[in-house]
Amino acid sequence: MSGDAPLFDTIVAPATPPGQSALALVRMDGPEALSILRRLTGKTDFDPRVASHVRLEEQGIPLDDAVAIYYQRPRSFTGNDLVEVILHGNPALVGRLIRAVTTLGGRIAEPGEFSERAVLNGKLDLLQAESIADLIASRTALQSRLSLANLDGRLSAAAVRTRETLLQAISRLEAALDFSDEGYEFIERGELAGLITGAIEEVRQITSTYERGRATTRGLTAVILGQPNAGKSTLLNFLCGSERAIVTPIPGTTRDLIRETIEIGGLPVTFIDTAGLRESADVVEAIGISRARKAADQADLVLYLVDATKGLDGPDRSTLNEYPSSILVFTKVDLRRQPEGGLGIALGERPEVELLMSRLDSEVRSRFVPPEGSPTIVNERQNALFVDCGQSLEAAQRAIESGAGEEIIVVDLKRAAHSLALLVGAITEEDLLREIFSKFCIGK
Amino acid sequence: MNSDSFDAIVIGGGHAGSEAARVLARSGLSVALVTLLPEAIGRMSCNPAIGGLAKGNLVKEIDALGGMMAEVTDESGIQFRVLNRSKGPAVQGPRAQCDRDLYASAVRNTLSREPLISIVAGQVRALEVRDQKIEGVKLQDGRILRSRAVIITTGTFLRALMHSGETRTVGGRFGEPAAETLSDSLRDLGLVLGRLKTGTPPRVEKDSVDFSRMQPQPGDEHPRPFSILTDRLPQRQVLCHLTYTSPAAHDLIRQNLHRAPMYSGQISAIGPRYCPSIEDKVVRFADKERHHVFVEPEGLQHPWLYLNGVSTSLPADVQDAVVRSLPGFEKSVIARYGYAVEYDFVNPEQLDASLRVRGVRGLYLAGQINGTSGYEEAAAQGLVAGINAAQEILDREPLIVGRDQAYLGVMIDDLVTQGTEEPYRMFTSRAEHRLLLGCDSVYERLSPIAERLGLLDDERKLRVEQRVGRTERAREQLRAAELFPNRETVEWGSTFGLEFSGPTTLARLAQRPEFDLARFAEEARAAGRLSDAVAAIEALRDEELEGVVNELRYSGYLDKQAREAEAFRRDEGLGIPQAFSYRVDGLSNELVEKLNFIRPASLGQAARIKGMTPAAISILRLHLRKGTPRGRAFERTPAAI
Repeated sequence: MSGDAPLFDTIVAPATPPGQSALALVRMDGPEALSILRRLTGKTDFDPRVASHVRLEEQGIPLDDAVAIYYQRPRSFTGNDLVEVILHGNPALVGRLIRAVTTLGGRIAEPGEFSERAVLNGKLDLLQAESIADLIASRTALQSRLSLANLDGRLSAAAVRTRETLLQAISRLEAALDFSDEGYEFIERGELAGLITGAIEEVRQITSTYERGRATTRGLTAVILGQPNAGKSTLLNFLCGSERAIVTPIPGTTRDLIRETIEIGGLPVTFIDTAGLRESADVVEAIGISRARKAADQADLVLYLVDATKGLDGPDRSTLNEYPSSILVFTKVDLRRQPEGGLGIALGERPEVELLMSRLDSEVRSRFVPPEGSPTIVNERQNALFVDCGQSLEAAQRAIESGAGEEIIVVDLKRAAHSLALLVGAITEEDLLREIFSKFCIGK
Repeated sequence: MNSDSFDAIVIGGGHAGSEAARVLARSGLSVALVTLLPEAIGRMSCNPAIGGLAKGNLVKEIDALGGMMAEVTDESGIQFRVLNRSKGPAVQGPRAQCDRDLYASAVRNTLSREPLISIVAGQVRALEVRDQKIEGVKLQDGRILRSRAVIITTGTFLRALMHSGETRTVGGRFGEPAAETLSDSLRDLGLVLGRLKTGTPPRVEKDSVDFSRMQPQPGDEHPRPFSILTDRLPQRQVLCHLTYTSPAAHDLIRQNLHRAPMYSGQISAIGPRYCPSIEDKVVRFADKERHHVFVEPEGLQHPWLYLNGVSTSLPADVQDAVVRSLPGFEKSVIARYGYAVEYDFVNPEQLDASLRVRGVRGLYLAGQINGTSGYEEAAAQGLVAGINAAQEILDREPLIVGRDQAYLGVMIDDLVTQGTEEPYRMFTSRAEHRLLLGCDSVYERLSPIAERLGLLDDERKLRVEQRVGRTERAREQLRAAELFPNRETVEWGSTFGLEFSGPTTLARLAQRPEFDLARFAEEARAAGRLSDAVAAIEALRDEELEGVVNELRYSGYLDKQAREAEAFRRDEGLGIPQAFSYRVDGLSNELVEKLNFIRPASLGQAARIKGMTPAAISILRLHLRKGTPRGRAFERTPAAI
């Protein structure tokens, strides 16, 4: 039923990235979407969910041949009337179409606005909406699977379950406070403590997935260290020329280091090239070293290369001490058998890198890949709320142990439940939605 | 002055009516208190007790605002107990058993001390309303009383019907009539009425009972008065007793359910969920083998006992058998049988936050007529309605107490925002900011409001100032009192179990869960140490000391709640313009109707309406921005009431 004062106006945005391609998709959402489509095409009959061939025209001037699909509210992604126009992937044409729509009363959408409408209309909860963004950004199959799982509601279900447990405990505590003179026992301290311990464990399991979840979404970084001529750049070039290379460049980086990304263990691993050191064989510039060290401090994986023909020396050992979890790799083992204590690779005419690659694979899988099937958090917002929840639960635990009354324990439990509610968007605080969706891309 | 013309008329002389009448008189306005039976003013329909969990807080709030319930309770109280004594002040419930005759006469005396109150015996036939404004009332005998405000506090008397077994009697309380026609007047104004019921237990002849078979329930060793004005409790303190129902009694009840008016369909009205009849309890808690029955004296000289916990409307023969099954009651004689009363009520959604009927100037409703149950809930509403009627007559802003300021604020907001379909009773869990609403901080929170409204008498004002001074001094002293772990001090401390290893203050020691500050003060006084701190501590009343210690112990939690209260006030400040149209995409029809009906003053209040979803709130929030729904700064419109 239409209201007298429509909340949603009509927005338009391209849903495909800029640039030339076979097809481009433009979306319109809102009360005027259908009428604008009609005016652009000269056609009035659009059955919902039927793809029709249309000729787009802008004030009588032909624009493009296209396919249009009309989704009638509420059965659309957003819950409003939604129109998708699939036209040829020519940026100029897309631009003209968008301008034509704005002339007819539409407005260019803000980032994430379509998804925001889906959440406002109750089609998705917040976690699911976020997963869409993740899914779009995913670069490996593993990443996609994780995003799909969260889109399916796996993470939401975990949060909702824990919240239910907490709400039950809260209502029993409240009953104990309000009916203390009836002579009934509503919840016994031991049981309450057990419930809270259980909830803390559930939350801890989920927050422990963050490192892995974040890794899955953002990918990992790796740095190759080693003295000049140890073979760093050779290895890097080899890896990036291989079939593991991920060609798509990472958008929006501000660093000027060269980065190449390859897939290891199902995740995109970006190697940061510290081969800026390779230029001067005699001088190790202070700045260069510190840049390399900084990169290594922040990297998820560190490889330390040593030329097998030269062997480990003092500076090698001291650097290795600073990065105890680094992987020691001896290069040129085809020329000299490697010493004890590391992996051997050869990058000459007949490359032997299997040992290294399988070691890297297993390292990534064991440290960074989340176990299949478990709820995984993938971004800072989710993490922060689960961490808040865990902290409130631990405060509740301390309150129980120190013998505090139910009215005190309940304060912490309510805060914990509140964090979980914020997570799925069961409650929202002022302008939180806008903040979340502003991180999406236009057209989502 | 025309003897039939008053500033205000109060219909009904119960707990709500008497508070309303008195505060109007104290504001310098003439009041006619119209009642069916003047001798029934101040009568307690049910349990001769005041206070309890959450209810005790209401009584103290009434005292802080200058109302009378706390004073008359102290005057007539014969047993005082603080419920949840072992828990923090936020959830403690002071309670007093009263002599019902002394209570009622204390109420009547208090009213008679106000020359501006005129008691009018009679029944109101209809309200006189013109152009959406109240003009007065018309009585059954034809007299017309004119006034600028009318407060209806008819309790359980609107078209009231009493049921005892199969017997039906017209009336709102035993031996009293009913108000027959006022409901029609309310309907004529467009108000929608519902039907509620409540019950009361049998009264038993005191002399026919064997107390040795029951557990004695003494009051507190140091009874705490309710009112800040009370220095000494005048009445003798007595024992109550505890006995239990048994499986045999439960069987008896189950066999006779078909003869209980509620189960037989004789009454279809809804009863109080939290004050269930014994029939309800037996059915709902079928696995419980026994239920508490508190045996309470109706008065010092009164020949009857009140059986708290066996509210019932079962027929007389069943009541006889059930009562006789209670240990100690084997040979008992029932002096008056329990009964249920059903009555009309007005769903309080139809009132605004000042308890005024929406759309009619000058007409207020307070008490059980609004669907609440309990004397304290009624009295608090009566006080607020009386204050607001006075404010309206004097052309001033109404008093709206926030949910973060008092339980009565929580109650009124619940009632007018969500309405109620069953008798509403106050619970501490209804308050989101419970820790801030404890009895220990009532005067600090509410007396300044009373003062601003000119309702704080000099005596109260003085005592509140003294109290605030005492507690401030104690806090300062605790922070300033230092203890150093030199050998002498440590040895002294160990004589009464105090251990500490570094320099500390008394404030920090008091934070320890096991630390007994009162005991420490005794020891310190005997040893001549920390005399300033000791003096400050010992000057405090028990509950003041408890409050100070609690604040120290749980300051983190109190801070958290204070911050939450701030966030709450911010949302309350997001005003919704009066003329706002709720016909907005994304809101369901029911929600739109509800919003249009209740017309919440703020986004915060809108969020509390039943059925509001978070998405709907977000939608409203977006829509409240000026201009297009996106990208403009949010403009705060002052809430217009």
